[in-house]
Amino acid sequence: MRIRSFALSLVLVPLLAAPLLAAAPGTPEFARALLQKVDDMYRGEQSHGVMEMEVKTRHWTRSMSLESWSKGKEYSLVRILEPKKDRGTATLKDRHDLFTYLNNTGRTVKISGAMMGGSWMGSHFTNDDLVHESRFSEDFDIKQLPDDKLDGVPVYRIEITPKPNRPIVWGKIEILVRISDQQPLKDTYFDEDKKPVRELALSDFKNIGGRNLPTVMTMRPLDGSGEYTKVTWKELSFDVKLDPSFFSVRNLTSR
Amino acid sequence: MSQLGIGKMAWRNLWRNPRRTLVTIGTMTVALTALVTFAGLMRGMQTALERNVVDLETGDVQIFEKGYEEKPSLYVRIADPDALLRKLDQAGYPATARLRASGLAAAGASSAGALLVGIDVARDRRVSRVWREVADGTWLDPADAKGVVIGRRLAKSLGLRPGGEILLLTNAADGSMANELYRVRGVLRSMGEVIDRGGVFMNAGTWRQLLVVPDGAHQIIVRRPAGVDLATARATVAKIAPDYDVKSWVQLLPTLANILETQRGSMVLIDLIVYAAVAIVLLNAMMMAVFERIRELGVLKAVGMKPGSVFALVAVEGLWQTAVAVTVGLALAAPLLYYLVHHGINISSLAGASVQGVAYNSEWHAEIDRSTFAGPITMLIFAVGIALAFPALKAARLQPVDAMHYR
Repeated sequence: MRIRSFALSLVLVPLLAAPLLAAAPGTPEFARALLQKVDDMYRGEQSHGVMEMEVKTRHWTRSMSLESWSKGKEYSLVRILEPKKDRGTATLKDRHDLFTYLNNTGRTVKISGAMMGGSWMGSHFTNDDLVHESRFSEDFDIKQLPDDKLDGVPVYRIEITPKPNRPIVWGKIEILVRISDQQPLKDTYFDEDKKPVRELALSDFKNIGGRNLPTVMTMRPLDGSGEYTKVTWKELSFDVKLDPSFFSVRNLTSR
Repeated sequence: MSQLGIGKMAWRNLWRNPRRTLVTIGTMTVALTALVTFAGLMRGMQTALERNVVDLETGDVQIFEKGYEEKPSLYVRIADPDALLRKLDQAGYPATARLRASGLAAAGASSAGALLVGIDVARDRRVSRVWREVADGTWLDPADAKGVVIGRRLAKSLGLRPGGEILLLTNAADGSMANELYRVRGVLRSMGEVIDRGGVFMNAGTWRQLLVVPDGAHQIIVRRPAGVDLATARATVAKIAPDYDVKSWVQLLPTLANILETQRGSMVLIDLIVYAAVAIVLLNAMMMAVFERIRELGVLKAVGMKPGSVFALVAVEGLWQTAVAVTVGLALAAPLLYYLVHHGINISSLAGASVQGVAYNSEWHAEIDRSTFAGPITMLIFAVGIALAFPALKAARLQPVDAMHYR
């Protein structure tokens, strides 16, 4: 599973309903299986949808409407529908590469190392959130913490810590998973000094195409600023067929 | 015996063993010439570094909105820079306001992080020498809104030359994704790490349009009038802008200021080491001179020469040699330094190298003032004094009878 693309993957390819797990809660196998399951759910999944992204900062608030296509976690294309000024501006993820098409100038920019930590479309997600891929089993140590409650809902707490020398900026990530249906509810990202720096909350589970899915995702920096980015799915369907060639730079610019 | 007599006698004594005397004088001459030249070169390098920093990067003093320097942000701005500029003008301090933002610069398939600097072209010229540092193309023109001037390494990494098209992409102050195409007017010479790698200079108006920032400025760069020292200048500016952060370049670049300070200290250390060696050579020569002549000195004392006069005789022998060394040393160093001041050493092979992010010039010129000469000469005389004390005392305290029987 790719941890940091976890956030955006959830936007782009929402979770499927979770099957029950075989391993007993509390064992490392259980925690691993719980997280692994999410990864497996994506495999080969294709989607098309429209989402709304609200970005609130101290200085401005902005609302955008985005159309999105995805195929597995390798490919995705997100295009701005609103506001008018930015209409057509789009981001393409082709495996490890990220491209941005700018409607205003008609140019395509490959996002390079220097901009990876930068904001994605002015939101609290970084470009890196879209492309960075880490594998749980290879890159993280997984630990299950004592169960807890989130807003009165019983949750499993799973803590994952990067193994030494992995190119991961987080000190650790704590994931809260609802016990009743094993849906992840919240990820808290800690920096290298183990201080919480940002938090991703999943909510508003709805039945879409027979699946129970979170339709709202909120990313908040934990700096006391009150800023956030909130993504809400307006439309979403999985009955699409997309060829990998759909996710090409040529197609990025073609509309 | 008169003092003049001692001087004459000492001088003659020197040439009883001309080879030894010449070696001693030669050693002192070489040391002095080298150290004076070295002092001139070091001073030249320091001045050039300091001037590069001050002229190209920091100015003498900078004004920021409180908090900007610790955490630069598009939103932390000096609200009314014009009022401050007016007051600085009245006080006789040349100053200019700049706008800064980070973003992405792209051309073709390449992109790189960029520092977007918006400037008032006319005002900036009075404060910064950047406008003269265009290696290829021309500097900004207020009439050319779409023209930008970029750093050397940025141009290289994006494969850009004057006339090329550059895309700038950033988050504007209203949250929109600012992206515009501009034309490269000029590429700068090596100016220091930050500007070289990502500097994009543009007209303030163009900058404001791209970033959607109608007013304010991030930074005011101030120069001090001639004859005002840095601390006084900072204090004066702080009085003019009491509600802002006011920093001198030494405060802005403490590491560089420290390096310059340490270099000055290490010069003194090098002088000390070289002169310690010179002192030992002189000590050895004078000791030999004294021991060779013990019986003669004994006779001088026996015929009534006072210990003070004997002391003076030996000391003056040393001083004569020093005087010759200083004269010859300066005579050699003067044309050498003249050349180094006016022509310099070509170090363009090092061009682009930087100390603490500050660029070297491609020519290394020496710079001289009184201390360039006074320092090494004073220290030489000091070293000679120490080296002469022992043999001179030894000679002064000889007992005539013992000395005359010495073999």
